[in-house]
Order: sequence, then C-alpha cells, then structure tokens
Amino acid sequence: MTSRETILARLRAARRPFADTPPPGDYLPVAPVDDERPAALVEHFAARAEALNCTVYRCTDERAALAAILDVIGADRQVLCWDFAHIPLPGLGAALARAGVAVAPPSDPSVRVGITGADAALAATGSLVIASGPGKPRQVSLLPLVHVAVVRADQIVPHLEAWLATVRARGLDAFQAASSTVIISGPSRTADIAMELILGMHGPGELHIVVLEDTSA
Amino acid sequence: MRSQAAKFVAAARRALADPPLQDAVKRATDTAARKRDLAMFAHGRDHGEALRQQAAAARRRALSRLPELLEQAEAHLTANGATVLWAADAAEVCAHVLDIAARHHVRRVTKSKSMVSEEVGLNDALAEAGIEVLETDLGEYIIQLAGEPPSHIVTPVIHKSKEAIRDLFVQRLGMPPTDDAPTMARFARGHLRAAFLSSDMGISGGNFIIAETGTLCLVTNEGNGRMVTALPRVHVALVGIEKVVATLEEYVLLTQVLPRSATGQAMAVYTHMINGPRRAGEPDGPEALYVVLVDNGRSAIYGTSYAEVLGCIRCGACINACPIYEATGGHAYGWVYPGPIGAVLTPLLTDLKDASALPHASSLCGKCKEVCPVDIDLPRMLLDLRYDLVEAGHMPWLWDAGMRAWSTATRSPRLFHSAARAAQIGQGLLPQGRKVPLGPLGGWSASRELPRFARQSFRAWWAARNQEEDRHDQS
Repeated sequence: MTSRETILARLRAARRPFADTPPPGDYLPVAPVDDERPAALVEHFAARAEALNCTVYRCTDERAALAAILDVIGADRQVLCWDFAHIPLPGLGAALARAGVAVAPPSDPSVRVGITGADAALAATGSLVIASGPGKPRQVSLLPLVHVAVVRADQIVPHLEAWLATVRARGLDAFQAASSTVIISGPSRTADIAMELILGMHGPGELHIVVLEDTSA
Repeated sequence: MRSQAAKFVAAARRALADPPLQDAVKRATDTAARKRDLAMFAHGRDHGEALRQQAAAARRRALSRLPELLEQAEAHLTANGATVLWAADAAEVCAHVLDIAARHHVRRVTKSKSMVSEEVGLNDALAEAGIEVLETDLGEYIIQLAGEPPSHIVTPVIHKSKEAIRDLFVQRLGMPPTDDAPTMARFARGHLRAAFLSSDMGISGGNFIIAETGTLCLVTNEGNGRMVTALPRVHVALVGIEKVVATLEEYVLLTQVLPRSATGQAMAVYTHMINGPRRAGEPDGPEALYVVLVDNGRSAIYGTSYAEVLGCIRCGACINACPIYEATGGHAYGWVYPGPIGAVLTPLLTDLKDASALPHASSLCGKCKEVCPVDIDLPRMLLDLRYDLVEAGHMPWLWDAGMRAWSTATRSPRLFHSAARAAQIGQGLLPQGRKVPLGPLGGWSASRELPRFARQSFRAWWAARNQEEDRHDQS
C-alpha cells in the first residue's frame, strides 16, 4: 500500500470525531464595520492603513495622484511597475516618461520603488488584495523597499468576508486562475529581536497607498 | 528532531536558575497575551467569544470529514497544477524533499518557518545530502546560526536578548557592532536577500489548505514566505494532514482569528493564497509546486479522545498564557512544540513514556483553554494523558505504592482517621521551612511547599460542632 492509501485507510477506519458538529450557519464577520456607505469605507480604510504605518494619499484628481507618486520616487531613475493597464491611473506611463523614470525588469533587486494597482481593498483592516497574473508580477510588491499601490475608492469593500462574497459572485474559476493572491496589511515587519517592532524585514518597509476618490459623486 | 522531553525536569530546573531567560520570556509572553486580548475582544467580549465558538466549529467540522476533505484538496491542488505527495513519517518527508531536489538539480534551499520541517529534521537531511539550507524567518535564521532549536512556535527566538543576538551576528556574520535592532535586522536582510535570489528551491509550511479550491494558505509578517514561494524555481510546502479546511468561508474566518490570537494583529502582513505554480503568461512565480501532506503520527490520534488537538491552528496563545512556559521557556519541553500544546502533542506524536513529565508540567489553571481560538480542551487532555501514564504503568513505583495506600486508607473510616492523626503528629517532626526531606518523594517537594495540616481535623471539628449544637438545643 502507498502512504496515501495507508493514511486514508487509517482515517476512514477510525471512529469519526465531532460527527455531531452542526453545519455552518451565518458567519459573524471577524471585523465588522459599522458604516458601510462608500465615503465611510474610504475613511475607515485610510484610518486602519495609517494605523499599520502606511501612508495614505486621498486624491480627487489624477494630477494629485501622479504628483504623490513622483514625490515618492524622488530622484530615482528606475522603478518596478505593473503593466500600466492594471493600474487605474491612465496618465502614469506618460508622467514617468516625462520625469525621466524608466521601468526596470521586475526581478531587478536594486530598484527602490515598486508601483502596483490592487484587486480590492479591505476597510476593516486597511488591507490590499493583490492577485498575480500576466502584467502583474508578484516581485513588484515584494522586492523594493518602497511599495506604492494605487486603488480606486470603489474597490474598497468592508472586510474579508465581503471580499469573499465578490469572489463567489465572480465564480471560483476566476479566483483559481491567479496562482497567487496575497492580502497585504501594512509594511513587512518583524518583532523577533526582543519583541521590538521593525519594519521592512524582507518585503517593503514603506507602503504608500494612493486612493482615487470619485469627484463626480 | 529527536525528542529530549525525557529530560524535562532537569532542563526546567536549569531554566528556573536562569533569571535573564525568565525575564525575556515573561516580557514577550505578557506582551503577546495582552495584545491577543485586545485583538480578540476588539468588538466586545461577546463577539470575541462567538468568534472562538465559530472557529472551533469550523475546525471540528473539517476534522469530522478529514479523509474526504483530503481527497478533495488533493484533486483540486492537482487540477491547479501542483503535485501532491503523501508522507507517512519523518523519513518519508525527507525522502520526498530529497527526490524533488535531485529531480530539479537543487543546490541551494531557502526556507520560511515550518514546524513540520522541525518535526522531521529536514535541515539535517538536506545538509547530509550536500544541499545548502538557509532559514529566512529572522528568528529561525538566528537560531540556525546559534545551532539551537526554536523555543516558541510563533516567535522562535523569544528566549534570546537583543545583546545575545548582536553578539551572534558580530561573531558569525562579521556585523559591525550595534545595539540598534533595526540596524541588525537590515544587516540580516542584506544577507538573506542574496540567498533568496540565488536559491533553487523554496520550502514553506502551510497554515491551511482549502479543500474546495485546492488553495495552499500561508500567514507571514516578514515577507520571507512570499520570497521563498515566488523567487526560487521550485516551491515545496510541507503541510500536516490536519490543516485542511472545507470552504473559503471557513478559511476567511480562521485566517483572521489566527493572527489575532498569535500576535494581536487584525491581519498578518501577508495573508497568502497560492493556487498552483506560475501560470502561462505570468512573469514570475515557481515553475513547480509540490505539496507534501504529512501524517507523522497524526492519523493515530484521529480516532482517539485526543482528536480535538488536531484542530490546533498553531497560534501559540496557549503558550503565551501558560505560567509553566513562562517559568521554564520553550527548550525545556525538549521537542518542537512547547507549552500546553506541546505537553499534549509531544507525548502523542513522539513517545508517551519518554515524554511522561510533560502532562505534569501544568498547574491545570485552565488559561490555555480559555485563550484557545478554537476552544481546544488542553487541561482535559493533560489529565487524560496522566491517566494513560498510570494505566500504561509509566509512573514511578513509589507513586503506585502511595496511591494504593491512599486507596486502602480512604476505604476504611478507621484507617483514614488514624492516618490523619499520624500526619498531624508526624508533621511536628519535620523541620520548618519549605524544603522537606521526603527521601524518594523529594522530587515532589523540591518544587512545591508542603502545606501544614490544620491543628484540628475536619472530622474532629465536625464532631465538636455537633456536640456544641446539641448543647444549644437542649438549653
């Protein structure tokens, strides 16, 4: 018998534990959000992200968003960046070019700033949901010391349970199509040296989040 | 990893004589326990307690269907492009990993924290095969440099002071001396970054596997978990067979309860869901993903009264709450899992007789159950293990003799009375103070104060009280 068969046979032969556990009812959200109106979600998201040591830029027009990003890039001549199609700032490519900033290959470990979009954001925990895919390398949000993420206000959902509802609505195939989905909550951190909080252990030590708010609303 | 649990008493005694160790452990566990309370009850105590019950039910539901969920998970992992391997024991885990390493011409391995890999002694097996292995979780990296096992499942280097870590980095890595922790971490980041970029294979553990989608889930803070699953050509995940959950809903619940219980974070920095190796058109990610489902003693627990311990999500809250762990630190427990969870798991996964001291390393205060996010009844299992030890004849002969004498005495009121009188009189012969020379029983009294018997026994008091009442009634 293979180990697979041995293990499964042993489990099947055993008296079933917890056979009387009731089926799941409605799940209580782990981090409920009191006010789920769009404006309140932006407020909540920004407050939670800032509490996690992120810098949040709430921008009502594209110009302000681009200015914030160029400010973070500073004098650097190179950035890592997703394909512009996946970042909700149509003018980003042109703005980088005008500023003389080139996009380096995603595996270049010497680049300081990485720019991504996001697939969703969670108000309750100040988190970004980021899936990998063509044009969306995972290294861009991982290798650089500084991660800049651009998210539209209407991508902010109340909490992880609400995000899951959107996953169900789109169908599990879409979820499984991304080989990696990571929910990022603040900069990389460690407390392994005498419980002292240190940011930027392996991943980015700075997380800048540009929130594009809809001015027409 | 070979268990040293048989040496618990001696190791604990050494730890008790090490105040700096106790200071470091106490400060760390107090902080973690306080943060855990704040995070679990952030939305009120009722809400937090309801979450615990919800999470406990999710784990129990999964265990009740474990073989079916494992098959479902295997099918979906395979459909997602992963290769699923099964390992009955430690040797088979190591053999699988060595096979994979040979197939992909692997020379360098980077690892993120995996307690299963500690169980099976994977690093030694890889080193013997001439493969370079580097731990990349900062805490694991530090203890790998120091040649020590972890002393906590979440913060493996909880026992080391900042100064000790500084000295280690200076001596082993040539770090310019500094007392600044962020500078020390940056130095380690530089060393490890080079290792990530040049490694051929990444090894991780797995916090959960979602059966309905075949998703491997990791929870990390530093980002090394993302590195080892994104940069090397091959990713191997070692996952205990008990880690499977049925649905995304159960996962979403558990992956939030875990960091709240572990470190008091609402979410870990990186809550990572992996649905297979790099897909066509993707610019990065591993070319191959292997998931090794590890039994190593778990299926033998499954049908027993200890099955609920398989619900553990390895948050470490019970460890942070335990007064014994606070006094002894983690190394005394002698194997991978310290604290109350270790006192239950080590006898069950290694050897009951060898680990016979561990079920007694508890004051049965009940705090471990109270803080457990999945409501595992650790005190009940510690008591049951003590019962098993007696049944299996693993208690010292003097314990048996004493218990037989107690049993005989308590069955006869006359014998009981004379024994109590003898104890009252006898204690006058013992010296004052806490150290009592009880001969072969000295092991018991060395760590406990012998209580004084009351001058009057309850029986004598009761008799006198009744006489008094009779007199009142008659008057």
